[in-house]
Amino acid sequence: MRPDERELDEEIRGHLALSVRERLERGEDPEAARLAALREFGYIPAIRDSMRRVWYSRWFDTVEAFVLDIRIGLRSLLRAKGLAVAVVATLALGIGANAAIFSVVRGVLLRPLVNRGEDRLIYIRQSAPGLGAANTTFSVPEISDFRTRATTVAAFGDFSTIEFTMLGFGEPRVVKAGLVGGSYFEVMGLRPQLGRLLDETDDGPDAAGVAVLTHRFWTTSLNSDPTVVGRAIRLGTRSATVVGVLEPSVPYPADTEIIANVVTSPHHLGATMVTERTHRMTELFGRLAPGASVEDARTELTAIQSAIMREHPDAYAVSAHVQLSVTPLRDQLAAPARTILLVLLAAAGVLFVIACSNVANLILARSIRREGELAVRAALGASHGALRRTLLAESLVLCGGGAVLGVLLARPLVSVVSRFAARFSVRALEVTVDDSLLWVGAGLALAAAVLLAYIPRLPSPHAPAGLASGGVRISPGTTRRLRLFAMTQIAFSFVLLAGAGTLLATLVALQTAHSGYDLRQVLAVDVPLPIEAGATTGDFFHEATRRIGKLPGVEQVAAGNFVPWRDAGNLLPEFPFSVDGYTPAGGEERPHARLRVVTPGFFAAVGVPLVEGRDFTDEDRRGSERVVIVSQSVATRLFPEGDVLDRHFVWTDPLFGNREPRRIVGVAADVDDEHVVPEPALTAYHPLSQVPAGGRLFVRAAGDPYALVPDVTRIIREMSADQPVARAATLQDVRAEVLAPERLNAFVMSGFAGVALLIAVVGVAGVLAFSVSARTQEFGVRLAVGSTPRHLLLGVLTEGALIVAVGIIAGAAGGLAFVGVAYSQLETLRVPGALPILGAATVLAGAAVIASLLPAAKAARVDVLQALRTE
Amino acid sequence: MGKSPDDSRLDLLQGTLDMLVLRTLQWGPQHGHGIGQAIRSQSDDVLKVETGSLYPALHRLEKRGWLKSEWGVSEANQRAKYYRLTAAGKAQLSREQDRWSQLVDAIGRIMNPAPTRE
Repeated sequence: MRPDERELDEEIRGHLALSVRERLERGEDPEAARLAALREFGYIPAIRDSMRRVWYSRWFDTVEAFVLDIRIGLRSLLRAKGLAVAVVATLALGIGANAAIFSVVRGVLLRPLVNRGEDRLIYIRQSAPGLGAANTTFSVPEISDFRTRATTVAAFGDFSTIEFTMLGFGEPRVVKAGLVGGSYFEVMGLRPQLGRLLDETDDGPDAAGVAVLTHRFWTTSLNSDPTVVGRAIRLGTRSATVVGVLEPSVPYPADTEIIANVVTSPHHLGATMVTERTHRMTELFGRLAPGASVEDARTELTAIQSAIMREHPDAYAVSAHVQLSVTPLRDQLAAPARTILLVLLAAAGVLFVIACSNVANLILARSIRREGELAVRAALGASHGALRRTLLAESLVLCGGGAVLGVLLARPLVSVVSRFAARFSVRALEVTVDDSLLWVGAGLALAAAVLLAYIPRLPSPHAPAGLASGGVRISPGTTRRLRLFAMTQIAFSFVLLAGAGTLLATLVALQTAHSGYDLRQVLAVDVPLPIEAGATTGDFFHEATRRIGKLPGVEQVAAGNFVPWRDAGNLLPEFPFSVDGYTPAGGEERPHARLRVVTPGFFAAVGVPLVEGRDFTDEDRRGSERVVIVSQSVATRLFPEGDVLDRHFVWTDPLFGNREPRRIVGVAADVDDEHVVPEPALTAYHPLSQVPAGGRLFVRAAGDPYALVPDVTRIIREMSADQPVARAATLQDVRAEVLAPERLNAFVMSGFAGVALLIAVVGVAGVLAFSVSARTQEFGVRLAVGSTPRHLLLGVLTEGALIVAVGIIAGAAGGLAFVGVAYSQLETLRVPGALPILGAATVLAGAAVIASLLPAAKAARVDVLQALRTE
Repeated sequence: MGKSPDDSRLDLLQGTLDMLVLRTLQWGPQHGHGIGQAIRSQSDDVLKVETGSLYPALHRLEKRGWLKSEWGVSEANQRAKYYRLTAAGKAQLSREQDRWSQLVDAIGRIMNPAPTRE
């Protein structure tokens, strides 16, 4: 129905033809008739337009005009390629970083889990802050108490982690396995990808051993082999059948290869596991009963726990301050990554502000150069709205370009950031690039475009000064704005630099902390023996160390049960002990110590000197006198007089049952094998032959430690063909691995800060260069009346320094205020120390001075005659 | 709109153009030029319709469904768009005619009041 443009034209042409024809018939001259017809018709474009307007709304016209504006904008930007490239690249950085980090934040913190009814899932944790244990997990008797008493939780799911040597898929390998009761998968709301999951029929000591493969293991290690269901495997000493593959889901509390029923682990069927209230190794999940809230569950479960503690006072030391926490599973998963992600999000936001400020300056400078053009358009009748629209179109083109490039940039960034975030929350592993990236990019671009369009001043139609000349005129107001944006960039860059500086300072402190170990030459290897090995463990490691010690290039070899830092948090908490002749002073807490197990030669192997007494020897064997070596901190704290040798040491925790005294035969220098920055750690070392634990080998090499790995592996395999040998690394590399998250934090923040610094420095240089080029004349006059070039140079440098100084002060003030506000949200956030702040200020000031040098030199080189002639 | 100062023709009263167009089309389909000429000649050259008003009016009436247009060939073998009255247009014409008579009646009474009885 709606006539198109051609039809309108044709209708008008038809009218004119008829009109001319009529006049010709009246006998008029053809040329006169044509002119008369046209005159009578009126101004064709206007009439045509009013005909069109009947059919199209005003909106349509606006849009059409805007499309035209955008085309004009594109053309005029093509003439200013340098500016366009700078703006698009800067915006792309800002938009890309924000879009990527927002995607990860959304994926980790906001997206629901795949679990059915995930909003009803809770995670229950027992902790003992008194012992420094953030997660003590639960024992089987505790869990059955909760099961029988709780009404707000419809069902509980239990999960304990254990390592198996698994046979059946090629090479023997050590796998992490989750052992679960039949209710676990139902409670967690998970489905099988293949086959079936475990249920109540798999419970009990008489069930057949069955295992479910996790999706990650199945896809990465087994090539998504569809024939795995029904496969018979061996887990340690037991056999089991693979019954299914789990759908992709968040691996929590542990990223395991398989999930099996408890019958696969003899330990889980033993009396210790089933009846010992203090034998805690099981994680607990729950599904809320209909109508119950998380708060209800928290109240009820806490009450139940208090009751249990009253009923079994022996299992809960008062000093342990045992507590219970109940959190929605989703929050529990996201919590560790929350701080770092929010910090990253803030950093990305800051980068965006810096990018926008920089672009604003570029646009402002450009708009000053084209004030003449705008003034002409205003004089010709363009309304303020129309001029704004032109500017908006141009900035939209720029920001659109920035957004497209930014989103392209964000795609690889998402995977980088999510791998980074995966160190804090397993949920980051499932982050994918989705539409939200586009929406964020488009939103940011739009925000930037509107902002940029409103920055330039429009020429007032009443002040035709803008028409006067084509030269660059710069008003005080504009200079102020240019400086303001430059200061904004400096201020925000300073915040980022100070943040990055703090992280770097922390990292340096961690990496240079004196550990007490000989880090370079000591190779640590995991040789996990099955729990069943029991008393033979000592024999195995005795023989292994004897054979490895004969290898050329081995200076010393020993076994132990704990690789410094790497095994931190995996093992038992610290236990209370006493030594004869020592009585705690009134009110003093009974001392707790770490329990470590080592073979003779351990201290020499890892480079920890013995301060007093002797090392263990082969004579300290099973059946002979029980002996112990204590750390220096034990000796100085308990016996400042220095007579600790030959006293008797006793573990007083009920876990140890018989309170056998052990004679102190030596004192070793202090090391802290749990913290990279050493803290005083009371430690008691036992000979492996008397306390059967182990699983770790320490080899001190004369040359390259890694060159020994194949020989060590061969020797172990000769002794036991199915024995896994894993994670060989020097202590140096172990520490580097443990510090990887810190290093990544520092790296990512430094990346942000570096980009910000670059943008800010370019921004300051740009502002000064612009200011210098606009003041060429002024400089010329000043040189003519006797200023020295040196004077002008200093003047420009001072201008730059002023911008930086104000920016740094504003940044410091704003940063401190932000830390103050954010402190309540992010407990781990700290006010950075003086050194990083000073460092950041120095770096910024130095960079800004260098940035000012070029424009300043230009000012000093102004040619007087040329400058005066430019008018 | 450009209009020479010596133009002695009358401007159309606001809102009456639509009525005149509808009325003109009562006699059969006609193109824009023809409609303009018809109004002019039927008013003995008193009413002159500006094309700038006529064509938007035609399109407006068509959009409201009172007219229908189709392309045809004029008497002079010139392709032209012909407008035709629709049923709705006929109804609208009679409504506008009633309103117009009421209006003329009312204005007439004000301008030429009946002599008072006193």
